[in-house]
Amino acid sequence: MNSSTRYAAPATRFVRRPRFTRTASFRLTLFHAGLFAVAGLVLFGMIYWAATDFAARDEAQEIELEIALVEEEMRLLGVDRLPEIIDTHLQRREDVRAVYLLQDAEGRKITGNIDARTPVLGATVVDVDFDGEIRNVRAQGHRLANGQYLLVGQDAHILREMEETLLQSFGVGLVFVLLAMILGGGYIGARYVARVGAISRTARAIVGGDMTSRALITGRGDEFDDLAMSLNAMLDRIDELMRSMRQISNDVAHDLRTPLTRFRQRLELANRHAHTVEDYRSTIGVAIADVDSILETFGALLRIAQIEGGEQPMPSAAIDLSALVRTVAEDFAPAAEDQGHVLTTDVENGVAIAGDPRLITQLLVNLIDNAIRHTPAGTNIALQVRLDRDRPVLAVADTGPGIPSAEMGNVLKPFYRLEASRTTEGSGLGLNLVAAIAKQHRAELKLSSIAPGLLVEVVFPKSQANSVGRVARSSAAAQ
Amino acid sequence: MRILLVEDDKETSAYLRAGLQEEGFLVTCAFNGREGLFLASTSDFDLLIVDRMLPQLDGLSLVRTLRSGHVETPVLFLTTMSGVDDRVTGLNAGGDDYLVKPFAFSELVARVNALLRRPRGLSEQTLYRVADLELDLISRSVKRAGVEITLQAREYRLLEYLMRHAGEVVTRTMLLEKVWDYHFDPQTNVVESQLSRLRNKIDRGFPHELIHTIRGAGYTLRAPS
Repeated sequence: MNSSTRYAAPATRFVRRPRFTRTASFRLTLFHAGLFAVAGLVLFGMIYWAATDFAARDEAQEIELEIALVEEEMRLLGVDRLPEIIDTHLQRREDVRAVYLLQDAEGRKITGNIDARTPVLGATVVDVDFDGEIRNVRAQGHRLANGQYLLVGQDAHILREMEETLLQSFGVGLVFVLLAMILGGGYIGARYVARVGAISRTARAIVGGDMTSRALITGRGDEFDDLAMSLNAMLDRIDELMRSMRQISNDVAHDLRTPLTRFRQRLELANRHAHTVEDYRSTIGVAIADVDSILETFGALLRIAQIEGGEQPMPSAAIDLSALVRTVAEDFAPAAEDQGHVLTTDVENGVAIAGDPRLITQLLVNLIDNAIRHTPAGTNIALQVRLDRDRPVLAVADTGPGIPSAEMGNVLKPFYRLEASRTTEGSGLGLNLVAAIAKQHRAELKLSSIAPGLLVEVVFPKSQANSVGRVARSSAAAQ
Repeated sequence: MRILLVEDDKETSAYLRAGLQEEGFLVTCAFNGREGLFLASTSDFDLLIVDRMLPQLDGLSLVRTLRSGHVETPVLFLTTMSGVDDRVTGLNAGGDDYLVKPFAFSELVARVNALLRRPRGLSEQTLYRVADLELDLISRSVKRAGVEITLQAREYRLLEYLMRHAGEVVTRTMLLEKVWDYHFDPQTNVVESQLSRLRNKIDRGFPHELIHTIRGAGYTLRAPS
């Protein structure tokens, strides 16, 4: 726990600890179990229907065979022996609970194990009492040549047993499967809850003030690891931003101390030693200059903050970079010349970028300012605009002392100054502003040493610049 | 010349009032937007100096309301907001100039004078003349004592601005904004270098200099008295 960065504990917990039944995974499990049960029932229904249909047809065939047998025997032995034949069959087929009925043309029972009834021809179902157990029995009614009526049937025992077995096994199976699903779902759910819980614990820890807390990455490479990694990357970025904010506030405070101290000393000195109005006047004049330099620093910071604030979207207006650079070069040539520098241009025609002309002007002016101020008289400053593989490039090169390679990474830091230029006026924020403007324009800022001197290149993005480039080129030609 | 100063900070207001009175202006102060709007729409002023951030009614709305009521008194906005967009919204709302705090008092005076002398509603003048220096906007030609002088584009625009404001003090910042369209302060002496070149072309070899440097304030172009 990093207690130095403790923040006020939030009044309400921002994540309610999920009860198991409220978890998404539990609901998902339940949903899957339900879906599976429905699918299972449909499947069962189809199997049940197919199996019972098959069994029913099988039994109907058996009954037809029985009737055919009885008729065959009757033909061989004579009609008069029919009751005898039926009795024999009855005895032989007691195990399948066969049903036989023979009645004469007047409907009187001759033989059989059920009562006489109204004759029905073809397939029928009769209720039969087997030792007090009423069963639906499938049967076939048949009119014999002598006018007698024969009903043969048998209890559908195979069918019934099959139904029972099917129902039982399916029921048991379904219970097992559902049980397995709920247990498995519960297990997976519990693991999900645990891992999500770990991530929200991390978040809570950070809200609680421990900025160093990070979500655990298990190394399984699953979506939770993915989430944890994104979260950690975000936290690292926030941490980095906070650090740089702190660093900048430190730098601001530190950088302002020097001119403020100077300012105070001057006033103190005047308070003690100034005697004439002229003394006071000169002190006040210098003090105003001190304050102006402090205000300049603030102004630069504000501008950088405004540009970096990101409220403004990427500027989209097409500007003619070539024309802009030529104009600025013309404006600066006299001043550069006055300070003994030579400002040259090598500008490709009609190179356009999408951007804010005022900001791009300021970027260029800052680069030229830097080149003029940090190089001795006689230095050559070359401005160049070109297309490098369709990307517009703005380059400012000087033949001055350059930047030592060890310092190259530092010069973009706020308030950073090379030892050699400590005494030069300026806020130490010029390149920061350049970097901020370049970033807003999605441009790359490259600093490199050339022998001798420094080369600063601003490489603008390709896509928009291309289409814009053509338009601007044609409009430039029209002018 | 009557000026209405709408500024809520008492100290700034008192300081500006004292300074402007010293310069010979009659200054009325308002300390919030409503009061400012009431005064501006009921009495006659030559110039309004309006802070952007005001209690009750902000400076932008104040000026918008005035303009919608066809009060065309020139307005100078004071503000701590220095963004390009802030400047543009200020000018779009009907402001005539825009000054970012903190500023040098001489800067304010120069701008007040420029606004007060701006010819309003008159047809555009096309020929400017100061002593024996002539600038013709139509032929874009410059003559001193009848002799044509060739100027570069920026030198021409610089001279044009100075001629339009002949006799007034123009500050370095005003020149950067109006002639260069730079709304920031370059470290390099762009203005000074350009001015010295312009001086070489129009003043060198003549008995009277026309472009003068006013120490601590700026520059002025004026005929020798």
